[in-house]
Amino acid sequence: MRKLTALAATTLLLAGCAAGKTAAPPPATLTVWADDSRAATLQRIAATFEKDRGVQVKIVQKAMGNLRDDFVSQAPSGQGPDVIVGPHDWLGKLVQNGVVAPLDLSAKAALFSKAAMAAMTYDGQTYGLPYAIESVAVLRNTKLVPTAPATFDELVARGKSLVKAGKSTYPVGLPVDPKAGSPFHLYALQTSFGSQVFGPGGELEIDNPGGLKFAAYLKRLAADKAVSTSLTGDIATNAFVKGETPFLVTGPWDAPALAKTGVPFAVDPVPPAGKEKARPFAGVQGFFVSAKSANPILANDFLVNYLATPQAQKALHAAGGRPPAMTSVREELAGDPVLAGFAEAAAEGVPTPNVPQMDAVWADWGLSQLAIITGQGDPAELTRKAAERIRAKIGS
Amino acid sequence: MRALRFLPLAVADALAVYGLVALGGQRSWWMFALLLAGTVAVNAIYLSKRAVPAKYLAPGIVLLLIYQVYVVLYTGYAAFTNYGDGHNATKSDAVAAILAASEVKTGESRPIRVVEKDGELGFQSGPGWRALPYAEIVARQAEIVKLRVPAEGGVLKTADGVTAALYRPTLTYSGDTFTDTAGTVYRDDGRGAFTSAGGRSLSPGWKVFVGAENFTSVLTNAEIRGPFLGVLVWTFVFAALSVALSFGFGLVLALILDGYRVYRSLLVFPYAFPAFMAALLWQGLLNTDHGFVNEVLLGGATVPWLSDPWLARLSVLAVNVWIGFPYMFLICTGALQAVPRQLAEAAQVDGAGPWRVLASVRLPLLLASTAPALVATFAFNFNNFNVIYMLTGGGPRDAGAPIDVGSTDLLISLVYKLAFGGSSRDYGLACAVSILIFAVIAAVSLAGFRRARRLEAAA
Amino acid sequence: MRLWRHLVGVPASVVALFPLVFVLAASLNPSGTLTGSNDLFAEVTWQHYATLFTDALHPFPRWFVNSLVIGVSTAAGSVFMGACAAYAFSRFRFRGRSSGLVGLVFIQMFPQVLAYVAIFLLLSAFKEVFPPLGLGSTLGLIMVYLGGALGVNTYLMKGFFDSIPRELDESAQMDGASHAQVFFLILLPLVRPILVVVSLFSFVATMNDFVIAGLVLTDPDQQTLAVGLYQLVSYQLGQSWGVFAAGALIGALPVLILFQFLQRYIVGGLTSGAVKA
Repeated sequence: MRKLTALAATTLLLAGCAAGKTAAPPPATLTVWADDSRAATLQRIAATFEKDRGVQVKIVQKAMGNLRDDFVSQAPSGQGPDVIVGPHDWLGKLVQNGVVAPLDLSAKAALFSKAAMAAMTYDGQTYGLPYAIESVAVLRNTKLVPTAPATFDELVARGKSLVKAGKSTYPVGLPVDPKAGSPFHLYALQTSFGSQVFGPGGELEIDNPGGLKFAAYLKRLAADKAVSTSLTGDIATNAFVKGETPFLVTGPWDAPALAKTGVPFAVDPVPPAGKEKARPFAGVQGFFVSAKSANPILANDFLVNYLATPQAQKALHAAGGRPPAMTSVREELAGDPVLAGFAEAAAEGVPTPNVPQMDAVWADWGLSQLAIITGQGDPAELTRKAAERIRAKIGS
Repeated sequence: MRALRFLPLAVADALAVYGLVALGGQRSWWMFALLLAGTVAVNAIYLSKRAVPAKYLAPGIVLLLIYQVYVVLYTGYAAFTNYGDGHNATKSDAVAAILAASEVKTGESRPIRVVEKDGELGFQSGPGWRALPYAEIVARQAEIVKLRVPAEGGVLKTADGVTAALYRPTLTYSGDTFTDTAGTVYRDDGRGAFTSAGGRSLSPGWKVFVGAENFTSVLTNAEIRGPFLGVLVWTFVFAALSVALSFGFGLVLALILDGYRVYRSLLVFPYAFPAFMAALLWQGLLNTDHGFVNEVLLGGATVPWLSDPWLARLSVLAVNVWIGFPYMFLICTGALQAVPRQLAEAAQVDGAGPWRVLASVRLPLLLASTAPALVATFAFNFNNFNVIYMLTGGGPRDAGAPIDVGSTDLLISLVYKLAFGGSSRDYGLACAVSILIFAVIAAVSLAGFRRARRLEAAA
Repeated sequence: MRLWRHLVGVPASVVALFPLVFVLAASLNPSGTLTGSNDLFAEVTWQHYATLFTDALHPFPRWFVNSLVIGVSTAAGSVFMGACAAYAFSRFRFRGRSSGLVGLVFIQMFPQVLAYVAIFLLLSAFKEVFPPLGLGSTLGLIMVYLGGALGVNTYLMKGFFDSIPRELDESAQMDGASHAQVFFLILLPLVRPILVVVSLFSFVATMNDFVIAGLVLTDPDQQTLAVGLYQLVSYQLGQSWGVFAAGALIGALPVLILFQFLQRYIVGGLTSGAVKA
């Protein structure tokens, strides 16, 4: 019994200590999830906001790979962030799960390009604040190839003749993920044959006549060693830096790092391989507010009054290299040839589809490309099979 | 001194009391009851003179119950729901999201002041209404954005606390149904969505119980039944060979390099590296055209290490052994130290040569003390998602096959693909498959345990 | 007699080390690719290391310290709880003993695809009631890791306890030692090698985890090395391999150094004579 009383006394004493300290109500804190490439810039912009409004902003760096899915699973609990940064093609999934709140940009909407605002719209509602439009383009080593090729065939031919002359090792640096294929990088070529991922009526088009022509073309590229499943992104980039390949197909995100290496390059839109225009995917990067945010007004204030400003858009461009979505900023920076090249490429771009089922589309589409490149069967047959599988999964 | 022994328990009890008070305040009676029962049990164990083993087990078991058993239970719970994309949250969240998305802006924003009278909020100032300063707007922001002030042609709402605009809702919610402007009625269809008579659903839906539906859909699903057997066999082979090979290498190296500190320091290197990085690294080294293995070691060969089904299996195993052998090497080194030297010396005195001593004295003792590690490593590799996912993604996939399964897929990566590789992420289904896989493992292992026990009893 | 041992030791060390040479090369290569080229060390720059220590965006030294704190606490806690449980399983006979042991292995085999969602929900509930154990708390993360302490470790350590003759503690108990004295004063010192091995394993596992750590700790100043480094390479486009490689190398140092210190404990019972045998 003595044991028990001693224990009870100590317990109460300790519990009393714990209960004794009452916390003051903390100042409002706005939490923003951003990946590595923009967290620092946001931190700087947020510093002004914190000072002006007397609140705190917490910029949380999250790995890009799990930012969207963590947000979808955490937002309903109310413990997720108030604001996230990401590409517009997340929107379908975010709306489907009810985790993103509509955003009213009112007068600010007019400051952005129409394409950027359209990408931030889903089912007639605007959900995000755009800040950049990005597309892949061809980076051309100007020392090896002084002028831009007009077609992709010409591009491959120039690359091959350089290889033959011993001036470079690979004709083209076209990154392929050995696990997932390269639908994103190859899309401009595919559209130049008249095949889109979704047609005007929303039906899957990757196996239309143009799509089958593209599949045959892809097989030819593989035979020409212009694409290969072993040329991954980092190998291709490294080869370009060393002058081992005259061309690199990539997006603006690589440009700031490449500029620092001193390799002389120009940026051209991906030239067409078929008879139609080559139109790459255009991704619009933007900010989204959580539907369960406890700070909706602060979030709105931060987005509309602090991020939708020329200074903020310029700062975000400087950090990530992505062409700004704000028209005035883009015009102001028009003198920058790298930016101009990527902006030209993006101007022709088609927005990456934002339907919630895109994950399934990417997977089968990419795997069919891998199979074509490694010669695992008839290209047309592989493409048709992939399309069938995708249709079965998305039910269209 | 005696009182000191009770200090840890007292601290734990104090925390428990604190937790009980907090839980009571939040009226979370379920958690309250669990915490209370747990606290009573822990006190009973440590205050009683008996229950000695429980005193040693309690701390670990408590944490195990909270963090691991809970995960298993949660998985079991989620397996009976439609949790996944489109059914992600509660019904009230879904209603709020549907309403928010249904409001169409019809007028330009105009400046307003948020005002307050007796706790009630409004936009128009008038006698008795007080305009809120920014700090108060921030403090009550959640309330303010929910405010809808009826006006000519719709409602006024604000997003920033300083301007408001006219919105026209296209859906109205009353009596648990939504009605759109055309008069179509959307009812709760009992499956976690509002659906019209014509079958159109409003997005998002919410999480509901769906009974055994996930289980039946897995069992009738040709996508999983087809490859299941093959993947199951490969999973066992992969786990068993990973253990056997890494143990074999570890043991041989431990025996041979016993006492060489330098080697021991060097061989631990692969272990000090993050495993996810090792897998990414090897993916590069095994690259068909540019990888170090082909280009330098094999003089420019183009061996498709990761894209040929059998070579890919071999590569995955080899990489996993590379990652795993230092662990086994350390275990064996440690275990060899634990073999009493007197035993080996006695055997030597009896005239046994070094090989005899090794085979009949050191090895059996070593096996006895490392067997648990082998079992645990087997269990770990059985679910070794990271190595497979980072190295091959389960591939290479047979392009002709109708289903998304590759030759290096383990059961766990198959679950992942099945649940998340479709048009939407389906956690409920993933959980159901996990439970079924677990049932298979449990059945197979139980049979193994039974046999082992019978052998033990016979010996 | 010695030479043939080296004939095994040298190739084994080469196999263990050569992939890591690539990491070293990548960390010194200005273009910062992991395996983009096989002509290693063609160009050497310290810029990635400089980035690590100067970039305010990646508070790398902070991450390093956080990882050490979390790793050491988890290792110590795991070893202690594991050893306690192993002692109970090895030396006492009680109801549920064998099924308990089997259960520990089973729970390890459970395919935890959804663990991160479950843990998130649990910790967000804790945050409401008891913030020090909830989301965003280092202690909360350590407790999650300790939840797994009983599994592998107990099983492993029980094997070592079993290999120590029971007569030893029985005679001590006859001399009047309590069960706690037997455990702390007689058995623990004898199983020291496995305690060291297990704590090292637990430390390494903690250092490598980026899934749960990334979920629980979201404040950049609180994050761990693995979480921070994974951010650099998780995005398919524009990965920073150079900085990642530099960080991973420095991150591996604590394990290597720790191992050098702990080695003599692992080799504790051995005398030099045995090497020649």
